[in-house]
Amino acid sequence: MTTWHADEALLADYVSGDADPLLGASLEQHLTHCAECRARIAVHVGTAPLEAVWARIQDHAEAGRPAVLERLLVRLGASPPDALLVAKAPSLRASWLFGLATTVAFAGFGAAWGGTHGLALFLLVAPLVPVAGVAFAYGPDVDPAYETGLAAPYPEARLLLLRSAAVLVTSLPLTLLAGQLVPNLSWTAVSWLLPALAFTAVVLAASTWARPVYVAVVLGVGWVVAVGAASWARDPAAVLAPALLVTYVVLGAVAVLVLCLRIRRFDRLGSSS
Amino acid sequence: MTAARTVSLTGVTKRYRGTPALDSVDLAFGPGITGLLGPNGAGKTTFLRIVATVLAPDAGEVRLLGRIPDTPDRLAEVRRRLGYLPQEMGFPRGFTAFGFVDYMAVLKEWTARAPRHDEVRRVLSLVDLGDLTTKRISALSGGQRRRVALAQALLGEPELLLLDEPTTGVDPEQRVTLRQVLSRAGERSTVLLSTHQTEDVAALCDRVVVLDAGRVRFDGPVVDLVATAAGRVWLADAPDRAARASWRTGSGRHRNVGEAAPSGAELAEPTLEDAYLLLLGDRARTTAVAA
Repeated sequence: MTTWHADEALLADYVSGDADPLLGASLEQHLTHCAECRARIAVHVGTAPLEAVWARIQDHAEAGRPAVLERLLVRLGASPPDALLVAKAPSLRASWLFGLATTVAFAGFGAAWGGTHGLALFLLVAPLVPVAGVAFAYGPDVDPAYETGLAAPYPEARLLLLRSAAVLVTSLPLTLLAGQLVPNLSWTAVSWLLPALAFTAVVLAASTWARPVYVAVVLGVGWVVAVGAASWARDPAAVLAPALLVTYVVLGAVAVLVLCLRIRRFDRLGSSS
Repeated sequence: MTAARTVSLTGVTKRYRGTPALDSVDLAFGPGITGLLGPNGAGKTTFLRIVATVLAPDAGEVRLLGRIPDTPDRLAEVRRRLGYLPQEMGFPRGFTAFGFVDYMAVLKEWTARAPRHDEVRRVLSLVDLGDLTTKRISALSGGQRRRVALAQALLGEPELLLLDEPTTGVDPEQRVTLRQVLSRAGERSTVLLSTHQTEDVAALCDRVVVLDAGRVRFDGPVVDLVATAAGRVWLADAPDRAARASWRTGSGRHRNVGEAAPSGAELAEPTLEDAYLLLLGDRARTTAVAA
């Protein structure tokens, strides 16, 4: 049992890192078996570093690590607050994305091996994927805390557009990939993008008047009827006939124009009404 | 005195399919807690939604925190200084209490992570949820969820705090805690508190507004409303069929709220609830006579 104990100056120097390396190593050895010196050195250790560590632990436990999508958005240049808000969109949840991937894969394989009916299935699904994603990204029908968020200063239009962009970025590549399964890589594999983008623009423009989900449902029913009618005539690709493609382009352009003209309406008194 | 008014509504009207929810309402509020009472459908929630800037009136002028929020910039300025607890508040799936309030804090432009998290902890502690921050909201009780909802309204100590039935589902002990929080908020902010709990109004508010069918039926100090029931509340051994309301109390005697004294009755100290019942009872009688 040792009778030697470190003096206060040595303890203070050790804690501050100013002790002679040899003396410091010796003190370290001593502290492992001297309870008295361990108790005395504690008063030299400031609580600030411990508190900082504890605060980090607490923050990690409470806030958790940002979600994968949130971190990805930050890497792509989004600010962390924007990334947090965008990642909370219902149509960007893992369950939605899994459902989307499954549906699109099913439609793609249908197009590859299902003949005319398979192609019809693909054309039925592909343009509606981004439409549904945008409709379920934001609004009173999909966000239980929508009204509370509306009373907050974050611009509603910005949230809608950011989430819509994120939905398009996640859904379009998947669907384009599935489109590669369309036999002979025909023009159909990509031309569905025109109605998809046009309908998405219509949902966004119409959401300045009406609820996005309602608009998407109306568009969806119309598209199903159109593809159904074309399939009945054994030519589902007729919905992508050149004349109709021009119509989709015009429709999309008009919708974008309307959206630009009316977007500020989101950030007016009582935009929920 | 106009400058001290945080909220000023002039001739505000809101109709739903032709039925007026608010009918040419003129009201102004300054710092302190005002209770909004009224039966279901009286217009309380519509009134709070208009003041919270989530619903536009059909007619009339709304002035909030010294400005008319008629441009996006002015609207955002008002919303920065406003806290709102809606009557029915849902929570997106998968959130913890901390995560949800943090999400709301971002919407309220708390962009820097560290001070935002400190503020989230502060408001969750205020509503006595400091130990449940990591619990999923879906696993919380109804009263605890209501306190999470209240916590987000308290973010940033807003100058204008709008609370639509904040104590619904909250147990008596927690209700007292929340009263303490709200009374402190009322010392620096304008707090509008819509509720069916007359005891909350009596405990917290110095002013009460009674709305009925979209119109203001009473607006004044709580004591003035209580005073309207003086001499109209009786304790008797039997119920009084002519009374506006009559019920058997825990002591076995019957509390009769009405005009005439039942036989053998003795006058009782009126409460805000008695006065409120009488006020609405007078309305019913007036309507019946008019018909």
